Amino acid sequence: MLEKLGLRLRIFLFFAFLALTGMAAIGLGLWAGYTRLESSGPGSAFVMAGAIAGFALLGLTAWVWYLFDENVARAIGRIAGGMRAEAHAGGALLDEGAARYLGDLAPAAAAVTGSLTETRNALAEAVQRETVRLADEKARLETLLSDVPVGVLLCSADHQLAFYNGQAVDLLGAGAAPGLDRKVFAYLRDGPIRQAHDRLVAIGDPDAASDLLCATVAGARILAGRMRLVAGGGYVLTLRDVTGDLAAHAARERLLAEVFDRIRRPAANLQTAVGVIAEGGDAPEVSAALVAEATRLVRAINDLATRYDAERAGWWPLPMVRAADLADSLRARAEAAGLTLTTEAADLILRCDGFEIVALLGSLGEAIAERSGVRRFDLTLAQDGAGAVIDLVWQGEPVGIGQLEGWLARPVDPSAPGVTGRAVLDTHATECWPERRGAGQAAIRLPLRDARRAARRPAPITRSVVYDFDLLSKGRSAAVLDAPLADLTYVVFDTETTGLLPSQGDEIVQLAAVRIVNGRRVEREVLDLLVNPGRPIPPRATEVHGITGAMVADAPPIAEVGRRFHDFAEGAVLIAHNAPFDMEFLRRHEAEIGARFDHPILDTVLLSAVVFGQGETHSLDALTHRLGITIPEEARHTAIGDTLATADAFLKLVPMLQAQGIRTFGDVLAEVKKHGRLLRDLNA
Amino acid sequence: MADSATKPRVLVVEDEDNIAIALDYLLTREGYSHDRVANGADAMPRIRSDRPDVVLLDVMLPEVSGYEICQDIRLDPDLRGVKILMMTARGSAMERRKGLALGADGFIAKPFELKELREELRRLVPDIAEGDDA
Repeated sequence: MLEKLGLRLRIFLFFAFLALTGMAAIGLGLWAGYTRLESSGPGSAFVMAGAIAGFALLGLTAWVWYLFDENVARAIGRIAGGMRAEAHAGGALLDEGAARYLGDLAPAAAAVTGSLTETRNALAEAVQRETVRLADEKARLETLLSDVPVGVLLCSADHQLAFYNGQAVDLLGAGAAPGLDRKVFAYLRDGPIRQAHDRLVAIGDPDAASDLLCATVAGARILAGRMRLVAGGGYVLTLRDVTGDLAAHAARERLLAEVFDRIRRPAANLQTAVGVIAEGGDAPEVSAALVAEATRLVRAINDLATRYDAERAGWWPLPMVRAADLADSLRARAEAAGLTLTTEAADLILRCDGFEIVALLGSLGEAIAERSGVRRFDLTLAQDGAGAVIDLVWQGEPVGIGQLEGWLARPVDPSAPGVTGRAVLDTHATECWPERRGAGQAAIRLPLRDARRAARRPAPITRSVVYDFDLLSKGRSAAVLDAPLADLTYVVFDTETTGLLPSQGDEIVQLAAVRIVNGRRVEREVLDLLVNPGRPIPPRATEVHGITGAMVADAPPIAEVGRRFHDFAEGAVLIAHNAPFDMEFLRRHEAEIGARFDHPILDTVLLSAVVFGQGETHSLDALTHRLGITIPEEARHTAIGDTLATADAFLKLVPMLQAQGIRTFGDVLAEVKKHGRLLRDLNA
Repeated sequence: MADSATKPRVLVVEDEDNIAIALDYLLTREGYSHDRVANGADAMPRIRSDRPDVVLLDVMLPEVSGYEICQDIRLDPDLRGVKILMMTARGSAMERRKGLALGADGFIAKPFELKELREELRRLVPDIAEGDDA
């Protein structure tokens, strides 16, 4: 019944009750004193009256405190706690029953938190929807960029890689695979790129582009590129491999120069001899010279023509097309024209322009159908020496070669009016002709010069893109010591060995490394290599890491693997768990590798000691366990498994170091020196 | 040299006069009975009327190409015994294949040495006496 009264009325009634009860206690005390006045005297009666009234008021006060504590103070505390939890964590439930004597406070607080929850949920849903949309867009853009047929690089203004696609990996990957936050000059010669960049910066036009020709560092490839600046600094570089084009051009030039060289001299000699004869000189020596020079000229022309014939097909850049795909396209074209085409294609990869060949054969089939009413054709695609031969077969009379030449003079497709059948044949350095077959059949035969067997369709190449656009605006510290930990690029690595004593001949059998750029591990930048140690692997070592002598028999030696690792780690801080052990194995081979491992080095054993104290165990198992990192059993004691665990541990240690005020690489070095007795610091 | 009644007969289908003069000299010296037509359109009627043993056939002719003449000869059952030796200044491997596929018995690329032509003719018409290649 009380809950139904208003809060102010209840407080008024409560205080009125207190006043009345207080007055009653005093009255009770006075009455008791009065009844003892005659027997005990006035002094004792006053004491008794005061004591009774005092104890009664004390009891009343205690009861009031209890009621206030239980129904006001605690209730307010619960309501406040509930509101705070809702504000910071969300989803907290407000206990309205606890504040039932506080009038409208609990429902009002519930209304506020309920409204906050609704707003927050609506906001979360909106963010979620937008996140999904952005993720879809991101995935689509990644697919698009990974499928463009040119290599694409995005570099910061100081030429550090912030993006590359799969094609760029193919183009640059003759040596070390590209890595984020590495200088593009690790892969491409710097001159043309610097010049193009300076040129664009000087022009200052955001829409300007600069074409360039550059070579990979190893010189294995010549790439044609186009550079365009991007807003906020940096540039996009698109690359196309023109090594083959240039080689073909050079071959053509060489042959042309040879043609002039070998023909000019006998032609000049012939002209002289003919001049002598024209003026009446009929000496046998003149005739002999004439014959000799003519013979020399004929042989030169025939030799050069044969070479031209053999080489010219390679000068025209033609893609490789699967025979089955070509047959499929032809079938589709025939069906669209109302013809029936059955196909039989050997499992070949043909070097040809698929569109042109389909258009040529399709136009020929349609011309035959129009001429003789044939509606049904067979197409066979078979190997023919180093090339292939395509036969378009039908029941009926062969076409005349004159008629075929007439058809070849026409465009093969309405969408390409300039491309005649003859032009297609010239592009492919081939011919086609009619043939009579047995059983009343006729055919048109079209050989292709270049084809190879395709045993199986290759697995699709993973065309991924790798990027971190924050790298474009990342500030860079010139000195590693002053660099914030989050700004540095790290290469985390681990080795498996034949034993623990490099000084007694133990060697590396496996090396794995991953890169950490801008505070995250780059998934696709991984090195995981077996190494031929040049010595047997003891069974006890094989028991640990599972690597046998047979597994490393064909693996490269440490000189080659070390070189690749050195390239992979260029410009990075090296991280290993118990780094002195791994570094000793590597540094012993610096002469063979041809490079020094003078990188800054961090050791996760020391970092663990800094964070957790020297009293703890700092094995990789213990450290990862403490940090909640799970190493799959099959990955433990493999170089890549331990490398990934070390990298993940490092990424979790960084914020813990920062919380202790250790923010820069220099701070870390100063701190680890305090743990010198635990392990040697390799940066000393 | 063979008797004129039994001399193998060669019809030269060639539009270039200079090479025709040289061929005339060679074929006469080699003991062939020979004649010449200078364009493709006249070739088939002459072949049908003369029935030569060998047609020395240039590929690039005015009006009708050597390939067409070659195909027409092979489509005519009455001319089954006629041998065809094609000559072309565009002697790519594919053109050689095309000529042979259309029924030619031999194919030589210009420029050629007389020795090469002589050997091809002897291969096609072995009746000419051996050792007469002075």
